[in-house]
Amino acid sequence: MSQVLSVTPSSQAESLISIRALSYRYYASSRYVLNNVNLEIQKGEVVVIAGKSGSGKSTLLRAINGLIPHQHSGDYSGKVIVDGLEVLSAKMSELATKVGYIFQNPENQIFMFSVERDIAFGLENLSFKTPDIREKVDWALNTLGIRDLALRAPHELSDGQKQRVAIAGSIIMGQKILIFDEPTSLLDPYTASNVIRIIKNLHDDLGITILIVEHRLDLVSQIANRIIVLDEGKIVFDGEPRQVMYSSNLSVHGVTEPTIIRTTKLLDPGATGPGKSYPLTTHELAHELRKQVPRIGVFQKGSHEFGTNR
Amino acid sequence: MLASAIFVVSLVSHIEVLIVLITFTIALTFAAKIVKRFGKSMTFFAPLALIAFLLNYYVFPVGLLTATNLALRLFAVIASSSLFFLTTTPDELEQVMRWFHLPPDLVMIFVIAVRFVPVLFLDALQIMDAQKSRGLEFEKGNLMKRLRNTIPLLVPLIAVAVNRSLELAEAMDSRAYGATKRPTSLYVLKYNFSDYFTTIAGIVMSSFGIYFALFGRLW
Repeated sequence: MSQVLSVTPSSQAESLISIRALSYRYYASSRYVLNNVNLEIQKGEVVVIAGKSGSGKSTLLRAINGLIPHQHSGDYSGKVIVDGLEVLSAKMSELATKVGYIFQNPENQIFMFSVERDIAFGLENLSFKTPDIREKVDWALNTLGIRDLALRAPHELSDGQKQRVAIAGSIIMGQKILIFDEPTSLLDPYTASNVIRIIKNLHDDLGITILIVEHRLDLVSQIANRIIVLDEGKIVFDGEPRQVMYSSNLSVHGVTEPTIIRTTKLLDPGATGPGKSYPLTTHELAHELRKQVPRIGVFQKGSHEFGTNR
Repeated sequence: MLASAIFVVSLVSHIEVLIVLITFTIALTFAAKIVKRFGKSMTFFAPLALIAFLLNYYVFPVGLLTATNLALRLFAVIASSSLFFLTTTPDELEQVMRWFHLPPDLVMIFVIAVRFVPVLFLDALQIMDAQKSRGLEFEKGNLMKRLRNTIPLLVPLIAVAVNRSLELAEAMDSRAYGATKRPTSLYVLKYNFSDYFTTIAGIVMSSFGIYFALFGRLW
């Protein structure tokens, strides 16, 4: 049943991230977490990597930003090239300027005593001059809308604010790629959708290529233009979100499909064939329902209430 | 000022010198406009000096003068420590450490140790709640039992701290930590009038300390 839906892009040389035959096994483990993974990611993509716990998604991200193999020893084979740098031979600090990594718990990636000092951390490590650091910190504070938090201590911040500080600290070096490891898992629904909006803005305004690991696709599928599903260290699905989610049953791979998708599949059990255009958002679902059952299909854009024609 | 106070009290046993030192420290708290907070801090810690006095005078027969002397020494150190921690933020302390060109790893150890105090404190509270909900009673029993009761708190706390440190190391590597041996800083420390004043005052105090230690009198 598993299939890779999209064909690997033909212009491999232009890929921002190129992973070839990557296999990896952690030290003292008998199981390969990544098993002959081949993947090309182009500039400007928003890629969601989904899969159940232990499927290898976080390991794949760590292999892209260089934590594997530089910080985790293990059995590593294959080739990962990120923006022209081969991960195995590049220095961790070089890779840090290419890839920003936002961890699941932002608390653990805010080290310094104030927000602006923490945002400056990467540039300080790269020995930037003080006026340059100040200029870039101001830019990051404004970009993330956290100027008023600049002098606050980390323990005074809310979870959403910490997430934004972590993002600011990860784009400060001008990274072209941002990796998010389950960015919404510790957040309430309102804050989570705010974070997703911020991620979308980073992509739209700054052209940053985004990689997000998630196993709940409700929020992230709306901003993604590609979904990759991993299982047992292998890519089992790779394609455009609508295509991937309507052509397969992702729940067998430990991925929670968006409510919209599950509802549509329940309403129309035949909604699994490829090539069909099925809804991905609430608006699209309402539109589809109205077409099929006009009697209950009154839905006004901008409102959140269903009504009837009669 | 703290360094100078520790230096002086370790050298000098003259009560008049200690009184000058304490008076000067208190005067500085007025200059720094932290009298209220300093007062609060001292009401908490100063009884230690009183206990030291009572112990020395009644338990060990050292005489009134020596007991007062020892208590004043302790008081001087407590007062200047309070002054130091009330006027210096951890951020400033970190910058001073960098200014002295201490190894970046050492500075980072200090930063992380202080930064994660509130985080680990919250972790500890959470673990305590979890253990209490499983029937553990931290407040009951004699001293030995209470000490033993801290084990179910400390073991998970250490495990949590180790896990945090692993992710912390990954996060630091992901932000170019260790790229250079001489990292720069967003802030640049500048000496202002009050810094010059306290530095000179500290040097003068220390010089008097040395003088008294050598000659035992001013003239």
